[in-house]
Amino acid sequence: MPVEAPYDDRLLHQRVVGGDESALGEVYDRLSSLIFGLALRVTRDRVIAEDITQEVFLVFWERPLAYDPERGTLRAWLATIAHRRAVDHVRAEERRRVSALGPRLFEREPDRLEDTVLASDEAKRVRQAVTSLPDGLREAVELAYFGGRTYRQVSEELGVPEGTAKSRIRLALRRLADALAEEEV
Amino acid sequence: MDPVERLYLDAMMEDPQVPARSLRPQLLAGARARRRPAAPTAAWAQPYAGRVAAMDALLTSAVDDDWSRVIVEGWTLQELVAHLAAKDGLLAAAVGAPVLGPPLGATDSMGRTSDVQAYERARSPEQTRRDWRAQADALCRHLADLPPTTPATMDGMEVPVRDHLLARCLETWIHTADAARTARLRLPDPVPDHIHPTADLCARLLPWTMLLSGMDGSGRTLHLTLTGAGGGEWQVPLGVEDARPGTPDAHITADVVAFCFLLGGRGEPAEFPAELAGDLALARDVLTAAPALSGP
Repeated sequence: MPVEAPYDDRLLHQRVVGGDESALGEVYDRLSSLIFGLALRVTRDRVIAEDITQEVFLVFWERPLAYDPERGTLRAWLATIAHRRAVDHVRAEERRRVSALGPRLFEREPDRLEDTVLASDEAKRVRQAVTSLPDGLREAVELAYFGGRTYRQVSEELGVPEGTAKSRIRLALRRLADALAEEEV
Repeated sequence: MDPVERLYLDAMMEDPQVPARSLRPQLLAGARARRRPAAPTAAWAQPYAGRVAAMDALLTSAVDDDWSRVIVEGWTLQELVAHLAAKDGLLAAAVGAPVLGPPLGATDSMGRTSDVQAYERARSPEQTRRDWRAQADALCRHLADLPPTTPATMDGMEVPVRDHLLARCLETWIHTADAARTARLRLPDPVPDHIHPTADLCARLLPWTMLLSGMDGSGRTLHLTLTGAGGGEWQVPLGVEDARPGTPDAHITADVVAFCFLLGGRGEPAEFPAELAGDLALARDVLTAAPALSGP
């Protein structure tokens, strides 16, 4: 379901479209550590992660109309680009390693179908990772993400204090991030 | 984004890390090389500089086919950009800024447009884009030191340069929206600080659109409420000779962006979404007359 971006995102986007450099600086200040963290988790290489981070923000500056605030937050859009680039990098590295052994062993068709398969593969992996969480963490994360509940509602449904609900979700996310990153490389 | 995707991204972004060194200065330097920011200029000229930067952002994504696609007035994107350059050049000439492109011959909008279009047709779209941007930026640089009240004559109209420039801002905005529609891209609105002065110009043009449409609005006053970011309220005397507004005879409430576009010739006055009150016939006359000043 499409989620509209908040007003801040819209204003930053309007400013970037209007060629306001300081708006790009603000977007960077707000989101660079998330984007860098994401790129680093996938690539495990700080230099590459820095390059990807740079590139993601440059794409937004150069082609700001590619982002549509009607279709989601800026954070999610930038994260999607960063993730795709990071995965591309890891694949290219794999390919390079494999082709050093023998070029015919590894041929990939970079087509749409693969993206679709990948997307459903990823979804499957996320679901598996969620399933393998300890019960308390799994319930919290399922309510928050698949049930669309707020922290407060999660705490009410699980009968735990709000702070506990919050920390369970955070802990679950950290476990998931580790599990997904393990498989990624 | 579906929950799995959101969960995935959130999970991947847990424990945010920071790059070893700040990439910010490097990023901004790289950004300038990829796409020129809005030209530095006087505060009152920034709405125009912003619309030029937005059009340029749209043109960044244009590929070969896009340039030869007809956008409006039977003009291709390349011809439309040449048209914008032609009119910017006329304003540049009016205020003593450099005029780029072919030597200045015709000094009316359509004549200069034909000259610049003929000149640019022999060049690549990328060159046309560069010429247009160079003309706009040269104008912005020149305006940086000019008082906004400096009288300027363009197309036979003598008004303060600020109003000519806001008209250029509106036209650049509208043509960018035309091109975006053809490219199926959603163009975000300008920031509220840029919309407001543009809407103010549109409100102040109403007595002239009435006059040009042969409707006598003299002695009557419109209360105009424009809603949305950058909007506001205006008491508009509807006769060009009226010294000041009187008690409002009619009220119009409408969306600020839609209203700017109506003045810019985009939108059907009869179907224009607005709330009318008071003298309804007068309010309808105002809307009917609104596009009177819009040209290509």
